Amino acid sequence: MIITKKRDTKAVLENIRNYRRIFLVGCGECAALCATGGRPQLEQMKELLHAHGKEVTGMHLAKTGCQVLGTKRELSPHKEAIAAADCILALSCGAGAQTVVELNEDKPVCSANDSMYLGNMTRHQVFDERCSMCGECILDKTAGICPVTACPKGILIGPCGGVADGKCEVSPDLPCVWIRIYERMKKLDQLDEFSASVPSPKDWSRGARPHNGNAKEPKNSR
Amino acid sequence: MSLHKAFEKGKFVVTSEIGPPKGTDTDDIRRLVDLYRGAVDAINATDNQSAVMRMSSLAVCKIILERGAEPILQMTCRDRNRIGLQSDLLGAHALGIRNVVVMTGDHVLAGDHRQAKPVYDVESVQLLNIINSLNNGADMAGNALKGNTCFFAGAVVTPEANPLEPQLMKFAKKIQAGAKYFQTQAIYDITMFKVFMGHARRHQAKVLAGIVVLKNERMAKYLNDNVAGIRVPQDLIAELAAAPNREEKQKAGIRIAARHIRRLREERICDGVHIMAIGMEGSVPAIMQQAGLLE
Repeated sequence: MIITKKRDTKAVLENIRNYRRIFLVGCGECAALCATGGRPQLEQMKELLHAHGKEVTGMHLAKTGCQVLGTKRELSPHKEAIAAADCILALSCGAGAQTVVELNEDKPVCSANDSMYLGNMTRHQVFDERCSMCGECILDKTAGICPVTACPKGILIGPCGGVADGKCEVSPDLPCVWIRIYERMKKLDQLDEFSASVPSPKDWSRGARPHNGNAKEPKNSR
Repeated sequence: MSLHKAFEKGKFVVTSEIGPPKGTDTDDIRRLVDLYRGAVDAINATDNQSAVMRMSSLAVCKIILERGAEPILQMTCRDRNRIGLQSDLLGAHALGIRNVVVMTGDHVLAGDHRQAKPVYDVESVQLLNIINSLNNGADMAGNALKGNTCFFAGAVVTPEANPLEPQLMKFAKKIQAGAKYFQTQAIYDITMFKVFMGHARRHQAKVLAGIVVLKNERMAKYLNDNVAGIRVPQDLIAELAAAPNREEKQKAGIRIAARHIRRLREERICDGVHIMAIGMEGSVPAIMQQAGLLE
């Protein structure tokens, strides 16, 4: 899921300082799980804006904010409330915010959240990052643990000289991912592979931005 | 004599290093080169060490060369992608620089530009492969070069890494990728170092033991608490603490360094030393004298 973080209230208010009437859009998927864009956060934002002299013309909790067609359908009953607003405030990730941008060509959209990373939820509202979506998976060569993500240097052949007692130079709380990979390979009896492999540098062209894709199978392939 | 030749002749090789200045004033570089020239076999120019922005190691290597000494270009993977690294390597070669020592490089969060984007497009083993490729007349994409390089490539290793086995595996990979010599992280425990050398001696690569000159017991404790892979034993800390004042403590630090170097050489434990006399650069000739390396 996409991990989002609430922006500082001051920054949000500064960004919407020129707008008085605001329409709020949240997201029922990731942002709801992150407590940055669910129903309670929409209500809190409404109160906050009222307290700062703003008028909230309406609000909507999108089922899946990054799903453009679905969100378009969901927003159509709110046409009037959106038309009455000077600005739409998105309580979602940057993808969700830009769905709203696409659907409202003539309306400014501001974001109430910062989008952080693709995360795993380990406990309620506790997240960590395990995949960088680099476009070229190497998990099969690293005992299933991603060093591109879990090493602050993203190095493919580790560990570097900064490891002290199995911890990373960047933070004593961070276990060195290459020591983790080494330990797991030892357990899986794959150490020969560890010592033999020198992965070639990553092909970053596969991660070239912006990405787009089509998961539909071409008709002529059937 | 080139560093390569010095190793070939079986000399007990001594290298030292110069930290480039923050600014354009190069007086200190020239002063240090004059001090080291004739004493050490080659001088590293460090590459934005500790991720603190300074003059480029490439420029400092050129100054070392002009001043009549043998430079070693230190190259980290932190600040340049594969295009920048290869481009600088070609430039270094054109300027007459022949020795390179590569390392991944301290993370930007350790330095004075914490908001910088860390690069690490390739890392040390891959960079050694790249140098190998340039030496053989092609860039890493396989394009032919008009004029190849002939670098003498080295790398770094931490003999007291914990755990040691993955470090040894990476050490072997570096040798496979073309590292001919290693400068180690600072070592203070010769017995522990001999354990590492037992593994290292299975390979052909030359090993220069890292010698960081201790100024006082405070510095020793700082290294123990803050620098990965360094462990100063208690008896050395006590030896420094026993010295009554600043000057005597520095003398003790010099004595310890000289004693270790002498032992490493006399017992043929490794192939030389890399002396890092941070803030005590002036002591390098005295250390070498006491170690019996200078006439």
